[in-house]
Amino acid sequence: MVHLSSHLLKKYHNGYVVIRLALAGHKQANRPFYRIVAAHNKRSRDGKYIEQLGSFDPLPNIYNEKLVGFNFDRIKYWIGCGAHLTKPVAKLLGLSGFFPLHPMTVTEAERRRAQAKLAETAAGTEDPQQEEQKQADV
Amino acid sequence: MAALGTARCLFQSFYRVKDVQRIRKTLLKCNARTFCDETSVKEPAGGAKPRFTDAAVQDILTRITGLDLQKVFRPIKQEMKPPTYKLMTDEQLEQAIQFATEEAKKQLQMPPVLPERKPINDVLAVDKILDGMDTAKYVFTDITYSIPHRERFIVVREPDGTLRKATWEERDRLVQVYFPKRGRKLMPHVLFKEENLKIVFSQDRHEDVLNLCLVQFEPDSADYIRVHEATYEDLEKNGKYNLLRSTRHFGGLAWYLVNARRVDGLIADMLRRDMLQDAISLVSLFHMVHPHSESAQEATSQQATGTDLLKIYSQKESQRSGYIELALQAYEEKAAEGSAS
Repeated sequence: MVHLSSHLLKKYHNGYVVIRLALAGHKQANRPFYRIVAAHNKRSRDGKYIEQLGSFDPLPNIYNEKLVGFNFDRIKYWIGCGAHLTKPVAKLLGLSGFFPLHPMTVTEAERRRAQAKLAETAAGTEDPQQEEQKQADV
Repeated sequence: MAALGTARCLFQSFYRVKDVQRIRKTLLKCNARTFCDETSVKEPAGGAKPRFTDAAVQDILTRITGLDLQKVFRPIKQEMKPPTYKLMTDEQLEQAIQFATEEAKKQLQMPPVLPERKPINDVLAVDKILDGMDTAKYVFTDITYSIPHRERFIVVREPDGTLRKATWEERDRLVQVYFPKRGRKLMPHVLFKEENLKIVFSQDRHEDVLNLCLVQFEPDSADYIRVHEATYEDLEKNGKYNLLRSTRHFGGLAWYLVNARRVDGLIADMLRRDMLQDAISLVSLFHMVHPHSESAQEATSQQATGTDLLKIYSQKESQRSGYIELALQAYEEKAAEGSAS
């Protein structure tokens, strides 16, 4: 008995398999944890998936590390089967060295650096102003 | 004072009271795995130093470890179970004892002695454009099930953009996170700090320390070697060799002492307990490992065996030669009396 649903999905609805982050542990507020998952495109984000390919913990631990696990063997299989990747997964794979770097990672790093510089110069101009005011008061 | 109190509490609720069977099985599994992992170049090319894993060396070490069934299967604090009684014929009893001996031999398998592992300092990529991308590091582990842990890819992306391989400590920790092993903790037990080790040694619990160490650390990690050396040093300082006598750690202790050339205490202890054969095998092991020492050359030139070996050793090498010769004399007198009466 051939499972008709996946064929229907592919041909009729033009659905495809996607590797994406699914939020796990939705009963705990303010503690996200993502599973890296191969699922059909139209399924809900946290719904039934085909296979779990890894995990991602976005909160750093006591050693200031964000832990990411990838099952590279199975990821290669699904990409070989024509799975698509979402942006966050592509970014993570780029950071890990498995894929080339995602351009948005570079852009975000540049934006962060620009913001940090702005904050520095703002702090720099604030301090001399405060000192001048104190001297004026005295 | 408070610290001492808490330390004492920690050690009293020690793993001995928790389920010991589990830890025993873990020890057996650890041992089998690490033996398989070893590289297998073992034949000493004539004149090369004999290693811990050579058949002859292992043979001697197993012989001096001894096989005291009463100690190996001694009663340990476990959950209370009502005892089972079986009615057996003499044959069945012998078979049961044989079975127990084989089980004991499996439990006495020696954990491997490996040189310390070299630190990993491999940088895969330096991407200055990513500098400041995040405040935390990203650690990527390959979770493929069918790779041995030593060959797994574990890679760290630092906030300044460098992609480097993870250090050995990070590797151990992450492998334990994704593939947890029974009995191993993410942060090593408080016991393995220097001050706490001293307290435990004063309570004569060297065997427990070594068992915990075997479960927690990899055999070639710096911590494993440090704890083992501390234990062996303490044992040698106080002469408490009998604590490890019929356990799996005795081979490691003997190997360490032979390599450090400080076998006198052990030989004296063996002679005191009338274990002449063990003492002779220990001296022959010493000659195998240090073939260029004076006593080894004397022994090969005279083709000495038995008590002559001991005499040559005590004359040439040992610092406590007086004690060894006295003990030998006492042994010979006892043997003469025994044969006379």
